[in-house]
Amino acid sequence: MVMAEGATVVRRNRPGTTAKYIQQNIRSDCSNIEKIMEPPEGQDEGVWKYEHLRQFCLELNGLAVKLQTECHPDTCTQMTATEQWIFLCAAHKTPKECPAIDYTRHTLDGAACLLNSNKYFPSRVSIKESSVAKLGSVCRRIYRIFSHAYFHHRQIFDTYENETFLCHRFTRFVMKYNLMSKDNLIVPILEEEEEEEEEGGQNPSTGESEA
Amino acid sequence: MLDLFGILGGGNGPAMDEHAGPGVFFNNNNSSSSSSPLLQAGGRGAAADSDGGEAGRAQYSIPGILHFLQHEWARFEVERAQWEVERAELQAQVAFLHGERKGQENLKKDLVRRIKMLEYALKQERAKYHKLKYGTELNLGEMKAPSFDSEEANEKETSGSLNNQLSWKQGRQLLRQYLQEVGYTDTILDVKSQRVKALLGLAGDGTGDRSGQEPLLNGTDTAPKGLSDSSSVLEAFFIESAAAEFSDEDDEEDSEGKEKTIVDSRTVSDDPDAEEALKDFDFLSNTEDMDTSPESRSAGDGTDWEKDRQAWDVDQGLITKLKEQYRKERKGKKGVKIEAITFPPSSGKAFIIGTEEAMETGELGLGELAGLTVANEADNLAYDISNNKDALRKTWNPKFTLRSHFDGIRGLAFHPVEPVLITASEDHTLKMWNLQKTTPAKKNASLDVEPIYTFRAHRGAVLCVVMSNTGEQCYSGGLDGTIQCWNTPSPNIDPYDSYQPSVLRGALCGHTDAVWGLVHSSAHQRLLSCSADGTVRLWNASNPQAALAVFNENKDLGLPSSVDLVCSDPAYMVTSFNNGRIGLFNMETRQQVLNMESTVESGNINKVLSHPTLPITITAQEDRHIKFYDNNTGKLIHSMVAHLDAVTSLAVDPNGLYLMSGSHDCSIRLWNLENKTCIQEFTAHRKKFDESIHDVAFHPSKCYIASAGADSLAKVFV
Repeated sequence: MVMAEGATVVRRNRPGTTAKYIQQNIRSDCSNIEKIMEPPEGQDEGVWKYEHLRQFCLELNGLAVKLQTECHPDTCTQMTATEQWIFLCAAHKTPKECPAIDYTRHTLDGAACLLNSNKYFPSRVSIKESSVAKLGSVCRRIYRIFSHAYFHHRQIFDTYENETFLCHRFTRFVMKYNLMSKDNLIVPILEEEEEEEEEGGQNPSTGESEA
Repeated sequence: MLDLFGILGGGNGPAMDEHAGPGVFFNNNNSSSSSSPLLQAGGRGAAADSDGGEAGRAQYSIPGILHFLQHEWARFEVERAQWEVERAELQAQVAFLHGERKGQENLKKDLVRRIKMLEYALKQERAKYHKLKYGTELNLGEMKAPSFDSEEANEKETSGSLNNQLSWKQGRQLLRQYLQEVGYTDTILDVKSQRVKALLGLAGDGTGDRSGQEPLLNGTDTAPKGLSDSSSVLEAFFIESAAAEFSDEDDEEDSEGKEKTIVDSRTVSDDPDAEEALKDFDFLSNTEDMDTSPESRSAGDGTDWEKDRQAWDVDQGLITKLKEQYRKERKGKKGVKIEAITFPPSSGKAFIIGTEEAMETGELGLGELAGLTVANEADNLAYDISNNKDALRKTWNPKFTLRSHFDGIRGLAFHPVEPVLITASEDHTLKMWNLQKTTPAKKNASLDVEPIYTFRAHRGAVLCVVMSNTGEQCYSGGLDGTIQCWNTPSPNIDPYDSYQPSVLRGALCGHTDAVWGLVHSSAHQRLLSCSADGTVRLWNASNPQAALAVFNENKDLGLPSSVDLVCSDPAYMVTSFNNGRIGLFNMETRQQVLNMESTVESGNINKVLSHPTLPITITAQEDRHIKFYDNNTGKLIHSMVAHLDAVTSLAVDPNGLYLMSGSHDCSIRLWNLENKTCIQEFTAHRKKFDESIHDVAFHPSKCYIASAGADSLAKVFV
């Protein structure tokens, strides 16, 4: 694997190189978030963020597939996480109150369109400054899928998280590059990590304090 | 003037011999002076009449003479002025004609240049085709580039745009070239072309002159330079007709008419150049008579001429027939096929060699030889025409780019009737695209399309996708070993519509490893899949349940890499294995029927395809070859090096005429299945780590072809 990574770094300039690099790291150890997050030398930060976001969207498909079985429009009529906010789907001309499963699908499809659009991201080798802001909004909407799954389909979330560590990685990613404000990170990932580190820590403060 | 003379002549005054008196001017009375002035005018003192004599003796008064002289001078001056004017006019005319002539010469030069460039381009193309076909370089006699290299690029571009006109010229060039290769010299060409003109009634001059009005004279004088002139004369002729063709952009029908008019006008005109040129032609034919041609025609001209005439008749007939077809093609009648004129299936090259041999033996009379070359010419001409026609009819250009997948696209399937495409990608999804719903793209020439539906159900990369013959269902196989059955949503749905769980019909489980190939049989509503677990399974497509049949469960044939139904016989299916084997199976008896003659060294076979109408199986090999096998005998019919890297995918057009192959060398090639030659090649998709194109497909009813790339793009060409 080390040799392969060296080879990929050498061919950095070609489009798709970064994606392959990230995918290789994930495949080797998906729990080693640090390693996956660490950009290789000289990697353009914009491209790094972009490629990671593409990878997140790709992997979220798996979660969406699982959700499709359980998340029905009759049970989850709106996209919510906690009681406070109802999230409106931005994929329509006027923001619409889509059922959760529709929101999930539309958000992922919309993200695919945006991230692949020639208008905002014409090249995979360099990212336009004006488009970097779009990454933030995509992250925000994607995160809601995590939060809905966590609060309403806990089992699915847990299973998937154990397989892929996706939400952990996503949270770390978003915090590292300041793509979202911390207030929005309502899935209690970090506290859980602290708990684990403290070996079943005494203060089970969950993230309910954050709205 | 006469009055003056009258006045002069009126010699009432004193008879002065040489000096005109002062009063002479004013003497008007003399009526008889009418006759005298002539005499007076004639000369001094020459008197025939008494009157004249009297008049002769009449005074030459100095003033009279002076006046006479003055008037004469004035007259001369006037005339001179007139002459000057005329001369100036004529000079202007001469200069104008000079200029015109220069212009014509320049035009001629340009056209010659163009011809040379086209020749060169044609030679290049032939070399390229030959290289593709035989994998070796074609050794043409002279392949020197024309000296106008800088313009060549432009010429090639313009030749593309003027394809319609120039293709016919290319054909003629090719004709000429083949004749030269055979051994015909320009002299014979000249003679023949002149005779053709005579036959067609284009040149009214040729027939009479051939009887040889000035044979010996011209012959002896200009025989040495005759041959060299012939080429220029030929060029002149050719250029005339080329100019004629050039000048009418739209109507090819008129080109012949124009040729006629040009040649006729030439014969009629008093242009000395034209006449000279025609004279050159005459003695050329006469030198033929005198047997100076290297072809050593027999002295018995009559019979040979006859034969030639016949041969040329045939040729001409063939050419006009082809011309007609070509014109019909241009008018867009798609039904016209060249099959009306049957051509030998072997390549035209063989014919050239054949005729050369005949030439060497020298036994065949020229008529027969001409007959051979007629077939040759016709073959090559038609070949080129068919190529050109096909190229004219269908040069595929990229039209749509389908961007939305996050990872490489592995499989493609077109809807049978709608302009709808489904792509299967390594990002675990399939996406459905409506080619009529494009987003306005600003930068690219090709339009961007956004998907109208995303199919989510696979837990790993989706490797293959097929649609049912009605387009209402589609099936996809993935890395997770499942085959998902879907109800195809309507092409007009809103991309951001509510989720319909009914789209997913169910999964066919049974395979334990990745499903690499899928094929749907409309006849039996069956689905056939091959997997990395070594088995090929048969499923009932209408009812997702356990597999109906399993083949090769013990993996003794290897791991199947691709599977296809035999179109000519739906009870059979053909499977290729990763060890290079190809097996034909009877699905009803569940037995292997035939093992195709394939070697193990050929490596992995990426795709196997059954021809829609013929009992032929086509395979795409990892070793860059495309191979053709006969279904009945299992023998290898044909093998060709098709690409520079592994050939990954194949598709046949719905009529069974063209084969499309995609390869990891980033190119897609279109092949004519009849002569197994490459018609078109286009580069599509970037290479993403040694992989480039995974799949190609034809639309069953519309004019679309699509390619699936490892760069997560799908491209559609029209």
